[in-house]
Order: sequence, then C-alpha cells, then structure tokens
Amino acid sequence: MDHETQTPLPSAQSQSAELRPRVFDSISRLLPRVLGREIPAMSADMKLMSELGMRSASMLELLLEIEDDLDIQIEVEDIDDAAMTSVGDLADFVASHAITDG
Amino acid sequence: MTAIEAVASYLPEQRVSVEDVAGRLALTSMQTRLFRRFLGLAEIRLDPDGTLLDLLSAAVSRLDRLRGREHLVRYVLYARAMPVVAPYPVNTLHDLCRAFGLGHAVSFTVTHHACATGLLAVDVAGRLLAADADPDALALVVAGEKAFTRDAQYVPGTSIFGEGAAACLVSADGPRDRVLAYASSIRGEFDGRLDALPEMASRFEKEYPLSLAEAISAALSQVGVSLEEISLILPHNVNALSWQRLCRRIGFPPDRVLLANVQVTGHAFCADTFINYTTAAECGLLRSGRKYLLAAAGLGATFSAMVVEH
Repeated sequence: MDHETQTPLPSAQSQSAELRPRVFDSISRLLPRVLGREIPAMSADMKLMSELGMRSASMLELLLEIEDDLDIQIEVEDIDDAAMTSVGDLADFVASHAITDG
Repeated sequence: MTAIEAVASYLPEQRVSVEDVAGRLALTSMQTRLFRRFLGLAEIRLDPDGTLLDLLSAAVSRLDRLRGREHLVRYVLYARAMPVVAPYPVNTLHDLCRAFGLGHAVSFTVTHHACATGLLAVDVAGRLLAADADPDALALVVAGEKAFTRDAQYVPGTSIFGEGAAACLVSADGPRDRVLAYASSIRGEFDGRLDALPEMASRFEKEYPLSLAEAISAALSQVGVSLEEISLILPHNVNALSWQRLCRRIGFPPDRVLLANVQVTGHAFCADTFINYTTAAECGLLRSGRKYLLAAAGLGATFSAMVVEH
C-alpha cells in the first residue's frame, strides 16, 4: 500500500504530534463554513454527528478544506466511525494520516 | 441449481468527467472535488443521443450464447432501479423482446430493490426456471438505465450515475457460475429522500455498512461458506471509499473487491455487478471452482448478496 511507504515510521509520531494542534485549529476555523453556521464554544469533545449534525459527505468536504488549509494530503481509506466521533477524534485521525510535502 | 450461463455488458463510448457532470448539476467546488479525491470516481459513460432501447440492445447483442437459442428463452426480466423509465405507452422491454426474437417469452420488470434489483432478478429467474417443466428453458435478465433526471444522476456526497447495460443468460442448472446462495434484506424505514430527511439520512449512513455486512454474512451462512473462501467480490459501483470501509469492517482484503470500474463507469444502476463480472472474466479473475460474491445496496433500502461458484 502506498501509505506504508510514504509514512516514514521513525518520525511519524512526532510529525503527528506537531501537526495535531494545527489540525484542531484548522477544524475550529473551517467547521462553521462547512456547516454554514457558527459554533459557539467549540471543544475537542464535541460530537460531530450527533451534536453538530455532520454527515459523511460534509465530513469529506471538511477533510478537503483541511487539506487546502494545511497543504497536506489525508489518507482516508482507513477512516472509520471512531475517527469521526468527536472533533478531537477527527483531529487525531487527520494528524496521523497526513502526508506532507516536507 | 441456478446457473449464470453467460454475461455480456455494454458501456457507451462517450466519457464525461465528474467535473463536467458536476457543472451541469451546479455542484459546489468541494462537492465536486470529493468525488475524485476521496470517493474514487473520475468519469462516467453517457450516450446522450441513444435511447433506452439502444442501451439495452447493445448489451443483448453482445450475448453470443443467446444466438440460435432464442426459442428456449421462457422469461425476460428487466431489472431496474427507477420505478419509471419511459413514458406511457412506450414499453422498452416489449420492444427489446420483439427486436431479438423473444416476443414469445413472458417478459416483466423486477424493481423496488433499487440498485440491488439485478441480484433479485437472477434469483427470480432461477426460481421460475426451477419450476419450469422444460429443463432446457432459459431466462434472460437485462439491466441498464438512462441517467435522465437530477435524482437519477447524483446522490449527494455519495455517487454519480452513468449509463451502462448488461444481459445475463440464466439456466435452471449448469456447470459454471452456479448460484449457491442469495440473501436480501429490505429496510423500508429508509424509504424517502435522503436530502430532505437529514435525521433519516444520518441513521441510514450508520446502518448502511452494518446491513450490507449482514447481507453478505447471511448469504455465506446459507451455504456454510466462509469469507476467506471468497476469491472476489463484484460490487455495485456506488464509490470506492464505502467498499474500502466495509472491507475493514468485515475483514476482507480490499484488493479482492473489483473497484476498477468505479472510476471509469460511475454507478450504472443495477448493471454494475454484471459489468464487473465481464471485467473480471476478461481479466482472468474468475477461476473454475472458486467462489465469488455479487453484492449490492439500493436506496430505499435493500442490501443483497449472492454467492456464486465459477
């Protein structure tokens, strides 16, 4: 699989840890645009589907927005329900499945 | 035991990119990009000047095993996803039968399983032939629809429909492509417009992979076949990502799901699984004695799986 060769294992964890706060910030800024409404008091625990009413299509649109915003590519083949539960879960998933040019 | 004697398929020559389709549907840039970037769709096939009869005829005319055996065809079944495909009094199925010397056959449409209706039609054909006094009797199953309205072209964030057709010759028994099992479950609580009923749409998204996995499991259980024994899944071409996610859920290698056509055909209604059959046959992916699985889901909602031994 491509992602096995594209993800350098020794630095993967540090890259993920460095990227995670930027991803969370990006989600916080982009979610209102994708949902078309303001979100007061955004938190990492906020549930994407049950609280914010997101669906898989809007989730994929959000991932595209994050890719553009952070200039990364996200490997989505591994995405599952757990990755789409809360804002924090999605930030974790993106940070650990991002391919950066650098 | 029901056997699929032969399968033929047809795809129109005109290739239309998902970006062009999205432009006609007035989708946003993000709605458009996610098809190619995440869902694995790149282009569809269309024949804007061709009729529905042209589409179905192109598949039937490629079914060489039908030639000279038309008199043996007792039943012609048209599997389709859309409830209405032609204005009254046009009857494309009857026109098709007349054109191919099948006017004597009992012909009817099988529907209401949406994009899973193709598998239902094979099952119904097998049951009719099993009850027929003539062991040599045949049934012809055809599938293929024109993507002629917005609803027939696009499921938001999920799929884009293209045109394609298939024709299958079914017999009551045979040495190859024997249908070992068929399972189907109808979830009528998901009947309705997903874009107008967001709460139902959310529940459907959650239930979709579970229900499709259950249909696959039910079909396998009917004949005591394990998932490991399935050499290939021939899917409906809704998109690549949903199949990759389903594979993770059921523990099946995604590279054993024939997804190559998703990016070049889009979702051709009920014809997908049969079009994928012809691709698998052309690529030498079907081996004698090996088992494979046809699987499809339809809006409304139906989840179906069929175990076949080549």
